[in-house]
Amino acid sequence: MAEEKAPDTKHHSGADREPNEIIQEYIKFEKIKYYPVELTGDIEVPKLTPDALVMVKPQLLTSKEVLARLGYPENGLRPDWKEVFLAKMDEILKKYRSVKLFLDICVRCGACTDKCHYYLGTGDPLNMPVARQELMRRVYRRYFTVQGRLFGSKFVNGEELSEELLAMWYTYFYQCSECRRCSVFCPYGIDTAEITMAAREILNSVGLVQKYLHEIIDKAQVIGNNLGMQQNAIVNALEFVQDELIETTGVEDIRIPIDEEGADVLFVTPSADFFASPHIESLYGYAKVFHQAGISWTMSTHASEGGNFGLFIHNYEHMKKINKRIWDAARELKVKRVIGGECGHMWRVLSSYSNTMFGPFDYLDPKYPRPQHICEFTLDLIKRGALKIDKSANEEFTVTMHDSCQVARGLEMGGTEFGQFEIPRGVIKGVCDKFVDMPEHTIRERTFCCGAGQGLLGDDMLATRVKGAMPRMQAYHYVKKNNGVNFLALICAICKAQMSKMLPTYGFPMEEVGGIHQLVGRAIVLGAKEGI
Amino acid sequence: MGGIKFIIDMGLSSLVYAAIFIFAAGIFYKVYFEYYKTPQPLKIPQTPQPTDSFGVFLRMAGDVLFFRSLAKGTKLLFVAGWLFHFTFLLLLIRHLRYFIYPVPGIVTMFNKVSLLIGIVMLLSMIVLVVRRFLEERVRYVTLLADYFVLFLIMAIVVTGIMLRHEPFRPDVTAVKAFIMELMSPTTPLKLLTMEPAHAPTCFMFVTHLGLVCLLLIYFPFSKLVHSVGYFFSPTRNMVNNPRSVRYINPWDKG
Ligand code: SF4
Ligand code: SF4
Ligand code: SF4
Repeated sequence: MAEEKAPDTKHHSGADREPNEIIQEYIKFEKIKYYPVELTGDIEVPKLTPDALVMVKPQLLTSKEVLARLGYPENGLRPDWKEVFLAKMDEILKKYRSVKLFLDICVRCGACTDKCHYYLGTGDPLNMPVARQELMRRVYRRYFTVQGRLFGSKFVNGEELSEELLAMWYTYFYQCSECRRCSVFCPYGIDTAEITMAAREILNSVGLVQKYLHEIIDKAQVIGNNLGMQQNAIVNALEFVQDELIETTGVEDIRIPIDEEGADVLFVTPSADFFASPHIESLYGYAKVFHQAGISWTMSTHASEGGNFGLFIHNYEHMKKINKRIWDAARELKVKRVIGGECGHMWRVLSSYSNTMFGPFDYLDPKYPRPQHICEFTLDLIKRGALKIDKSANEEFTVTMHDSCQVARGLEMGGTEFGQFEIPRGVIKGVCDKFVDMPEHTIRERTFCCGAGQGLLGDDMLATRVKGAMPRMQAYHYVKKNNGVNFLALICAICKAQMSKMLPTYGFPMEEVGGIHQLVGRAIVLGAKEGI
Repeated sequence: MGGIKFIIDMGLSSLVYAAIFIFAAGIFYKVYFEYYKTPQPLKIPQTPQPTDSFGVFLRMAGDVLFFRSLAKGTKLLFVAGWLFHFTFLLLLIRHLRYFIYPVPGIVTMFNKVSLLIGIVMLLSMIVLVVRRFLEERVRYVTLLADYFVLFLIMAIVVTGIMLRHEPFRPDVTAVKAFIMELMSPTTPLKLLTMEPAHAPTCFMFVTHLGLVCLLLIYFPFSKLVHSVGYFFSPTRNMVNNPRSVRYINPWDKG
């Protein structure tokens, strides 16, 4: 008799499964085919196409060692995930005014709905910035407002926590490149990037950790750079670059100094610049600029990475730890200036956050902004006539510039609020004769992201990347068609990686992508300076 | 008759006090504890953000007074939204005449155009409602609550306009007397001893005021806090100078 009363497990099979099992089914990684659209030069706002991109899920990080080092759960979704989720969300709401406020004050006016490149590329309604925020706001209204707690989710348009909701978070908060374009048009400056960063950290805390982004955060902390290159590998790579430089320029004493104490400048740049293409061309450019300016400089094996993926999630500790290497190196090498190379998010962390995390920089030379951007440095030299430039070296190019979103919508450059647009353009115009801007609504503070920023550059995200690159490709096509543009100048390592893949995908030659200092490097005339 | 009047007087007076209390306490709580006291760890101002505080002040003034950020996007929303808020402000100012004696000149100035203002406000709100319904993307993100506030405010405007016309027009001196009585510090105490202020006997007025109270009560719990929240928005209120002036993370202040 008693045995018959035993709980019927079959009957409850749905409810009894482990949360981790349920979620794994929802977010199973699949390879997805992607199709670029035919380019016309115009960016049209698509009709709503529900679920257009719901199947793109990034790969999960499963290596237990890495997860343990990062301090996240090691066995997938925790059985008690709901409590952890709410505790983490509560913590973030108390620590970040941005998140708290932005969840409160959106009026769903819709001004941002057609501003996201992922929405424009896919028509997926959940890629409208406000709809993306609503994924979090539904939870917020249910669990963190008086009315939600009193009257329940129906009354406040909230949502109970469920594995299904979690899967939606994991999908759509990894279809946002935190580019902040939506925020420009929002009457209250609501910044979806802040919400996305918070959402990702909450997902991490319950055990859904995206692979690409977090592997890099781990490598940058443990090894010192995003590519996981050991010290000797860095030295080898840079020596190789130096040999190349000497060979191609015929200048015997051009150098890429490494770990040289007492140099004037510590130069930090994304490690991709050491050998990826077209990144490396810019490295040649930097070296030539320093050489010709006669300023002693050094790279550091300790701070061998400028990029800081810690920015992409609301986890201050990761970001701080990665950034610390740069300022430790600056003190150790006793430099007077720190200059950052071409990279979007690196520049944002370096310029906007370093001073808060590791300032004051009283040990650096107060005459220069601390830290300084390579474009500020180069433009200053060009203006002072300290570089000998032969523009005809770039004769074959008609250049346009993609404003990297993290630079464009980040901080001042050159001390003025629009410097980040004018200074890089100034450098380009200083070394090329022909420059044409893309249409107004696709540049400057309204620039479109390349489509792969802030942790979406992995191959698992290719479908999203191709769709998200559409607006930029349309704009490029437009100036190509009308003005014969044949070079897309960039100042970001991720943009370079993404664009050199997207241009061929959309039918352009891959060589049309490159860094600004690639152009500078071509035009500099090396050798004794005139009058000396 | 006396009994009903007493109930209305009691009810309306209590409602007004309750609404004002909930509104004021709610907004204070939001602003002070939830926005002002919550730290913002890093500087996240957003282009085009000026590099000095006066510039930031000007930018925010531009956003608040002329909806500059919104103007970069769809023009229809910008125009309708701005007209709605602007006329709302004008009508609020106009209502000062019930609270301040003698009535300031600036308030009497709109006597002639107040009807027009009300109508513009209504029309702009109709545009906002229709837009929510017709525009596919906005309809997708619109919640019932969004229609609720729009219709609530429209109802307030409609009853307000009706109040100015026969046969709904109340005895204006009675209205003024009622409001003066409510503002007097002794009235709340009298309320406790069951001697409420004397509301005008006008159904439309009671409705109008009741709806306003409902709006006030709803305010601090809803998206309407955008009105005060904007001033704390870190993408707009931070000065764009973290390189030259060190910003201290409030977390580190201990
Ligand atoms: S523009 Fe701002 S307020 Fe309007 S829906 Fe988007 S996030 Fe909300
Ligand atoms: S931050 Fe960029 S990617 Fe994210 S929702 Fe806004 S526009 Fe889209
Ligand atoms: S890669 Fe470039 S465009 Fe893309 S998010 Fe980063 S800075 Fe922006």
